[in-house]
Amino acid sequence: MTNVLTPVLSDNWDADRPWTRESYERSGGYQALDTALRMQPDEIVALVKESGLRGRGGAGFATGMKWGFIPKDNPNPKYLVVNADESEPGTCKDIPLMMASPHTLVEGVVISSYAIGAHTAFIYVRGEVLHVIRRLRAAVQEAYAAGHLGKNIHGTGYDLDVIVHAGAGAYICGEETALLDSLEGRRGQPRLRPPFPAVAGLYASPTVINNVESIATVPSIVRNGAEWFGSMGTEKSKGMTLYSLSGHVTRPGQYEAPLGITLRELLDLAGGVRNGHKLKFWTPGGSSTPLLTDEHLDVPLDYEGVGAAGSMLGTKALQIFDETTCVVRAVLRWTEFYKHESCGKCTPCREGTWWLVQVLARLEKGQGSEEDLDQLLDQCDNILGRSFCALADGAVSPIDSSLKFFRDEYVEHLRQGGCPFDPMASTLFSPVGATA
Amino acid sequence: MTVTPSKAGSNAPAPQDLVTLTIDGIETSVPKGTLVIRAAEQIGVQIPRFCDHPLLAPVGACRQCLVEVAMPGPDGELRTMMGPPGRVKPQASCTLPVAEGMQVKTQLTSPIADKAQQGVMEQLLINHPLDCPVCDKGGECPLQNQAMTNGRGESRFQEVKRTFPKPINISAQVLLDRERCVLCARCTRFSEQVAGDPFIALVERGALQQVGIYEKEPYRSNFSGNVIQICPVGALTSADYRFRARPFDLVSTPSVAEHDSGGAAIRVDHRRGKVVRRLAWNDPEVNEEWITDKDRFAFHYANRPDRLTHPQVRDGETGELRPASWPEAFAVAARGLRAAGRVGVLTGGRLTREDAYGYAKFARVALGTNDIDFRSRPASAEEEQFLASRVAGRGLGVTYTDLERANAVVLLGLEPEEEAGTLFLRLRKAYRAGGTRIFAVAPFTSNGLRKLGATVVKAAPGEEVPAIEQLAHDGELALDGGGVILVGERLATVPGALSAVAVLASQTGARLAWVPRRAGDRGALDAGCLGSVLPGGRPLADAGARVDVGAVWGSTVPTVPGRDTDGILAAAAAGELGGLVVAGVDLDDLADPTAARAAVASAGFVVSLELRASAVTEHADVVFPVAPVAEKPGSFVSWEGRVRPFEKVLEGSNAVPDVRVLAGIADELGTPLGFQTIEAAAAELDEFASWDGERAADPTVAASPAAPAPAGSHRLATWKTMIGDGPMQDGDPAYHASGPTPTVLVSAATLESLGAAVGDQVELSTDTGTAVLAVGVADLADDVVWAPTSSGGVNLGRDLGAGAGSAVRLSLVPAAAPAVQEAM
Amino acid sequence: MPTLKEQFWDPVAGFGVTFRTMFRKVVTEQYPKEKKPTAPRFHGRHQLNRWPDGLEKCIGCELCAWACPADAIYVEGASNTEDARFSPGERYGRVYQINYLRCILCGLCIEACPTRALTMTNEYELADATREDLIYEKQDLLAPLLPGMEQPPHPMRLGNDDGDYYRGTFRRQDDETGEATQ
Repeated sequence: MTNVLTPVLSDNWDADRPWTRESYERSGGYQALDTALRMQPDEIVALVKESGLRGRGGAGFATGMKWGFIPKDNPNPKYLVVNADESEPGTCKDIPLMMASPHTLVEGVVISSYAIGAHTAFIYVRGEVLHVIRRLRAAVQEAYAAGHLGKNIHGTGYDLDVIVHAGAGAYICGEETALLDSLEGRRGQPRLRPPFPAVAGLYASPTVINNVESIATVPSIVRNGAEWFGSMGTEKSKGMTLYSLSGHVTRPGQYEAPLGITLRELLDLAGGVRNGHKLKFWTPGGSSTPLLTDEHLDVPLDYEGVGAAGSMLGTKALQIFDETTCVVRAVLRWTEFYKHESCGKCTPCREGTWWLVQVLARLEKGQGSEEDLDQLLDQCDNILGRSFCALADGAVSPIDSSLKFFRDEYVEHLRQGGCPFDPMASTLFSPVGATA
Repeated sequence: MTVTPSKAGSNAPAPQDLVTLTIDGIETSVPKGTLVIRAAEQIGVQIPRFCDHPLLAPVGACRQCLVEVAMPGPDGELRTMMGPPGRVKPQASCTLPVAEGMQVKTQLTSPIADKAQQGVMEQLLINHPLDCPVCDKGGECPLQNQAMTNGRGESRFQEVKRTFPKPINISAQVLLDRERCVLCARCTRFSEQVAGDPFIALVERGALQQVGIYEKEPYRSNFSGNVIQICPVGALTSADYRFRARPFDLVSTPSVAEHDSGGAAIRVDHRRGKVVRRLAWNDPEVNEEWITDKDRFAFHYANRPDRLTHPQVRDGETGELRPASWPEAFAVAARGLRAAGRVGVLTGGRLTREDAYGYAKFARVALGTNDIDFRSRPASAEEEQFLASRVAGRGLGVTYTDLERANAVVLLGLEPEEEAGTLFLRLRKAYRAGGTRIFAVAPFTSNGLRKLGATVVKAAPGEEVPAIEQLAHDGELALDGGGVILVGERLATVPGALSAVAVLASQTGARLAWVPRRAGDRGALDAGCLGSVLPGGRPLADAGARVDVGAVWGSTVPTVPGRDTDGILAAAAAGELGGLVVAGVDLDDLADPTAARAAVASAGFVVSLELRASAVTEHADVVFPVAPVAEKPGSFVSWEGRVRPFEKVLEGSNAVPDVRVLAGIADELGTPLGFQTIEAAAAELDEFASWDGERAADPTVAASPAAPAPAGSHRLATWKTMIGDGPMQDGDPAYHASGPTPTVLVSAATLESLGAAVGDQVELSTDTGTAVLAVGVADLADDVVWAPTSSGGVNLGRDLGAGAGSAVRLSLVPAAAPAVQEAM
Repeated sequence: MPTLKEQFWDPVAGFGVTFRTMFRKVVTEQYPKEKKPTAPRFHGRHQLNRWPDGLEKCIGCELCAWACPADAIYVEGASNTEDARFSPGERYGRVYQINYLRCILCGLCIEACPTRALTMTNEYELADATREDLIYEKQDLLAPLLPGMEQPPHPMRLGNDDGDYYRGTFRRQDDETGEATQ
């Protein structure tokens, strides 16, 4: 087995105190900033475009193109907002990144802000991760002290202020326009588009909103060039990325590998599904992406490959579930999450998730008939694509896909009048080899 | 009610601004920027909706209006807008502007759109209590109606509904049933965008989201009733109308609001001869779809126990009023008036144009006098001349629409939010659209002016003239022909101010409009209820005008110039006038209520035409009951000069309009008026063509510098709040409870020197009397205080003998009980 | 020329019916001396029903008035207050009138009633001397108080809120104890 890992972002995570500026600079940190500040902003945008970097927050929109949408003639200030509101169930990449090496993000923020002409940048961090907020704030302070931020950065005359903003813990604030509303001090609810944030975003000014990982990748592209970046990954999904493996896997964690790697390879790296069990289903990119099963072990994990398999790459949060897991139970728990996190603005999401939870709870208890399954699918059909933002689309993904692959299991619940699984067996603290 | 009307009179857009699209196979061209839902309305396709409202910014929250949309691609091929892989994604038509070549399929032609709409409807209903039998909206409910047209026949929901304790007050007159709410945010958007009172907001999230209030800032708005009307479900209900009736047994009649000069179109719903509620009617040219709370809730006055039902005459022996027959009352009134010799006529603001014309003609023809004045409030000779030269008989002048087009609007002696609510809303719309800058000469920056983004030129009461003169040279204002000057009636109390306004208008070319507070004032002026003005704005002084009028009347017009209100009362007190005919005058509104009461009491012979017992009927020799607005046809003239006719609402009422009473007296006097009905009076008034002759000259009164307040006292600035005291606001406790706590506003320094905190009770006093009010703080000059003219049982004129510019003293009332904390 | 049958038999045959009937059971009703019961579902005078504790079932929704093809019903609703409760829930019928000069006893109002407050009795003697007397007011229409019922206004005795009444939770409890409630 060849080691296919390509640690770039995570390269320095094993260094001594990698979150300090000294440690980061020892491993070559902030050198890309010098290179970037000597370039014209447009050249950086062109470089990122050329590299083929796509947004790592889920949708996979080309980062360079997003930057290119910022109107040059708009008299308002321009803003960079980093979306660090990582709250998708199963997703765990931005928080480890900011925890281990916050300066990677800070350097990325400076380069990106310079590229789009912003003089103020915001990092919107999920409120619950206080330790990360502290570490990030400390890093920003260090960067100010070292002249990487503030007035006249590196003597180039470029000014930038970075503000680390703590959210109040709402999943919806990961949606970029809801994030902007929240950042402005309002209730986090998605905004009507158009106008798009690139034209009228934060404080009605041109705004670029990027995921933490996307921004953190920028320094490596500046340092090593677009060609280096493009040498990794697949034709349309270039570069390396962080895959987070969690659940019933021997060694969960973040695995940085080129896009297009398969789950089979990743599972090999992670020591496989926990001992004595076999894979039942998994999510390619957090709970909002449709489930896949062991048939899909060799699907290339890039935007196109997962899409072709009927799911989405999303945040590359691979949650692994073995055969001890009740899929109805798992789906109900996820749906409860979406019901709790629905902002309430639009009907399908607000009322639809409220209803879905009640139906699923009933089904888990084995109450109902097979007609209820068809009704459940129809309820999903009335939610998917009808809501204001994508939250509700994510909420129905696990239901739709689980019914596609595991309809029999739902029926079994109904037949037995209850859950056929032992919930204890699926827990990670259950004795190894426990049977379902 | 939510269908956008086609805007009559708006200019047709140039063809290049038209966008052609296809809706359900029908090709249509609409102006660029039109939303799909409106374009569909124009071809008669009704797409169901809840959150969408043509006068509010789109929000796209309810998702009920989903339609299937296809757009031509770069190659010209139509591509249906898709969502998640392989699925058509229906679009919310309330947020989607039209585009060239767009093809829209609504629920009528697209099974996908139809299913999407039915799905959303089913979802909306899962947490809706379906308590339609007890819901006030039942029978006129968009949710009910659209659930029938665009919903599934049966619900598949068998689980547990979300419930809330019901209902809660979000203000004294607005109740909220959270269970019924579909969270369309119409109410919150209205309050924030249209009224500028963002005191309600959505709180919590998910299915627990609800309309909430902030307990320290109650939902206090002069326009809060509109949220009840635009609520597409029964979530917001009116405390007054709750459970009173059902829509299907109400008779609805369009009418016009009688509470201010806005001319707002309303709909009056009545049942069994009793008005049970009033709603805004849609008139895009005037009030759009909004009315003030006063127009909506203040209608109980006509059904108070003190309503006069039969004529009364004063018994010669007992000195008491006793019931009389109509012929007897006419005869007694005519005999008394003939014996009185010279008689003055005082009319108030409730008069319709036709009734006012009746008085104008009655005074001149039957009483042979020009002693008539409609201004039942502090007034001046300067104002009379200003009205004669600039306002009377001018017809339609500055309009609501003009305000939206104006580059600047100057407010002088006018607090639109309190004194002309409909005007305020249109000014706010103009301000929010960004094209109109608003300037005001005022003693302080009121909340209303703040909501208009007004630049306030501060002037203490009595010192407005220099400020007005300065406006012509104000570089920021740069008033020119594209500007509008709006003058309130209060400016009459400042000597020289109206003269200065006339000069300002002439200098700058800005258009001028006079905005009285009362609904009847402009109509009364046009009808000739003013000493020096004959019907149609004809100046009495002009012989040609007199001949004109005499020709219509078939009699000569008296030439002696008439007295004004104060003059008539003084003359009555002095015995120069032997009698008074008084109609709809609240003596407390006059400059000196005490003197007015004395004058009416001592007048030789008083005929009162009133709706309800009043201070005048107490002293009257003959009292005639007359019809309130709902019980007669007529018209008001709005501040624009727009005639706003209305029909009789309560068809069964036998109440008699003023005109009929005057005709009866005139017949007995032997000088018939020539008409007995409203219709005939209107027809005769319409015979007066507009006056094209010479008009009175502008007033040229020099400003007299205001005397500084004596040491230890403050100059009083005052106007009436919309919700306050007055006979036409009686009878609805919830309405009064929703009004502002009567509050004296002082400067921060004054507050400090008083040793008071906001909300404390302070005593306002003059040599005449005292009044205790709460205190608040505003950016007033240190020697100026503001207090509402007549609110919470305190009438400054009656209780303190004080008006605008008077010196008043302030002192802190030692706190006995915790004070109510509420600023204005 | 008439036949023999026509001459002799036919005139007598006509009395056959008379003779036969003389020996049959008499169908004449001795109303009003004797009153016969109506069919059980006869549409007679209306009744406004009560809950077992005496509270009124009518919520003043006016749906009966809406359904009425003869415009014979007039209702006005009002709010129950803490001090004066006439029905469970928020609303009750303050005014309830049926004009039996207009009523055609079609029963559409019964179908419209969402709370089964309005039903019809079998009483059919709806005649009177004056028009006023034929406009039945609420007190004329309300069902009599049965044992255990209490004249409203009074608080809800059978549950904490109107939901308990409408869901019939009180009835289920009673069923368990074997008591009859209606």
